[in-house]
Amino acid sequence: MSLSYPKRIFLTALVMLISLLMIMAALWLPEVDREIEVMDSLFVIDITDSMNVEDARFGKQTINRLEWAKEYTRQSILSMPCGSHAGLAIFSEARSLILMTPVEVCTNYHDLMQMLSQFHPTMAWARSSEVSKALYTSIRQAKEITPQPTVVFLTDGHEAPPVHEKLFPKFTDTPGEVPGVIVGIGGSDLVPIPKTNEFGEIEGYWEINEVMHKDVYASSRGDAAELNNNRPRTEHLSSQKKSHMETVARRIGFEFISSPKSPQHLIKEMQKISDSRQQPVKYDLFVWLATIALILLVLVFLPYNLFANQHD
Amino acid sequence: MMLFGLEWAFPFVLLLLPMVLLPWFNNNLDKTVAWTALVPHDPLSRTISLTLKVLSSVVIAALLLAVASPAIPERTVERFGEGAEIVLLLDRSRSMDDAFAVTTQAANYAVGGDNSKRRVARTYLTEFVKKRPDDRFGFVFFSTNSINLLPLTYSKEAILATIEANSLGKGLSDTNLADALMNSALMFEDQPYRGSRIVLLVSDGGQLMTDEAMELITKRYKEMNLSIYWIYLKARQGMTLEPSENDNILYTDLPERKVHEFFKSIGIPYRAFEAGSLEEFAAAMDEIDEQQYQTLIVEELVPHEPKSDWFLWLALLAMLPLASSHLYSYWGVRKAHE
Repeated sequence: MSLSYPKRIFLTALVMLISLLMIMAALWLPEVDREIEVMDSLFVIDITDSMNVEDARFGKQTINRLEWAKEYTRQSILSMPCGSHAGLAIFSEARSLILMTPVEVCTNYHDLMQMLSQFHPTMAWARSSEVSKALYTSIRQAKEITPQPTVVFLTDGHEAPPVHEKLFPKFTDTPGEVPGVIVGIGGSDLVPIPKTNEFGEIEGYWEINEVMHKDVYASSRGDAAELNNNRPRTEHLSSQKKSHMETVARRIGFEFISSPKSPQHLIKEMQKISDSRQQPVKYDLFVWLATIALILLVLVFLPYNLFANQHD
Repeated sequence: MMLFGLEWAFPFVLLLLPMVLLPWFNNNLDKTVAWTALVPHDPLSRTISLTLKVLSSVVIAALLLAVASPAIPERTVERFGEGAEIVLLLDRSRSMDDAFAVTTQAANYAVGGDNSKRRVARTYLTEFVKKRPDDRFGFVFFSTNSINLLPLTYSKEAILATIEANSLGKGLSDTNLADALMNSALMFEDQPYRGSRIVLLVSDGGQLMTDEAMELITKRYKEMNLSIYWIYLKARQGMTLEPSENDNILYTDLPERKVHEFFKSIGIPYRAFEAGSLEEFAAAMDEIDEQQYQTLIVEELVPHEPKSDWFLWLALLAMLPLASSHLYSYWGVRKAHE
């Protein structure tokens, strides 16, 4: 189809006019509000001795559990949309200690990473690892923060001293009130736990007679005695305690994911369980307007006569 | 992606740049003329037609560049400001959970309440940090082992969040003052001297330090040009850091006094503020605030600046004559066909 000369002139003039208006709009149209989904999170990282075990798979490498936890935290924070908040905490003894309440992830990325890089077993204030109790405190403290963050608890699940399944520390809050994800770290084989000195250097391994193998409380109770007697003495060794973490997760209404491959896995889980917050962001439409102007102009200059000639 | 010193959000759009040649290959507005020799030779028309082609190319190029969304990348600039570099050393021991400045006996036993020393310290420090726009703050984690938790930063949000976190939960059983003081000095190691350097200690007690540690601290603090401010949250109203005439005999050997003596002996600028009430605490913070306005080199992070507007303006400037000329042709052709 070919157009008459006056028609072509008319169409060209029209296209030029529209393009001109589009460029003007691109320059002067105010930014529009757009809602994006952001998340608030609190990363609690286990810094107890068992985290020094080198059995966490990262791609093709095997690194220690703490390094894995830090790297996974870094990648997760990096994967969150700007406007999201992340806080940092460590877990040692029987409690979670918040070190930075949630801050915006994009502007504070550098400071978050600076702090994360300091996390080290020497920060531990006592030599025990009571995961369940630490989870409870993380929940209690998350409630004190507004907006309330989703707890991400990175641990191998190793309880030292061990707890008896029937004598679990009591959880007094409402399960699921504070959403959270337990990220399980470590391999499935039992391996020796390195022992660190006050400078954080590894000095040998925990020996079989240096750790408790029974629930302290259960060992003093007659009715639990026979259950205790048959337990293997393996508490000086460590692996990822999946079933234990699943049990605790169920008790407190958390999700449990074991050795996730990518940060997206965690982020999807977080989006599923927490009420995401909508945050308005300013959005400039200029790219779209300039693209329209560009397409219109190119339409004018496309070599139509090449096609037309072929048909003639 | 970086190109020509700019950061491009959609660099692949630049691959379309050869499209600027389109106007030169083709002109859909060519009128069919039976015999071109009949058309008079007109240099003005030739110039105009050439100009229009150039303009068209310019518009296409400018739009492509604008769509590729260039920006000047984030960069740091140095400027002179007024303020100081301050390392916060907040006592996290259990005793900081006790109520501050109590007047009744009963309140003595209220642990971890809203008026605990830790919370009070949080409130005043938060206010202090907010008041000081140019300061860099660092934070030392003060426990059995101390750790330079937050190296000196300009981010108010990060330091405030760290101060806030420090007020949550219960205190820790063990604190090591000597180690924390050493680590505070380390924050300034390998850093250029930008302006006054302060270690701000907020605690409700002191600790005896070994001679070895004291020697090391003296050496470091002198070398690195540090000042110490100590806000001492008094537990006992009557007790003062300076010995006085009618002293209670129990006060003479308190570790607080030893630490105070030691700080005085280092030979660096040192001030102690004994806060026995909220007013005194506030006054201490105000005094530090007033004193510490010296010239300071401030590194400022300039966020990345979008620069598509440059190209949109260029497109607009080229588009105006181009569009007018086409509208003019349309008007002319319409008249001719009437």
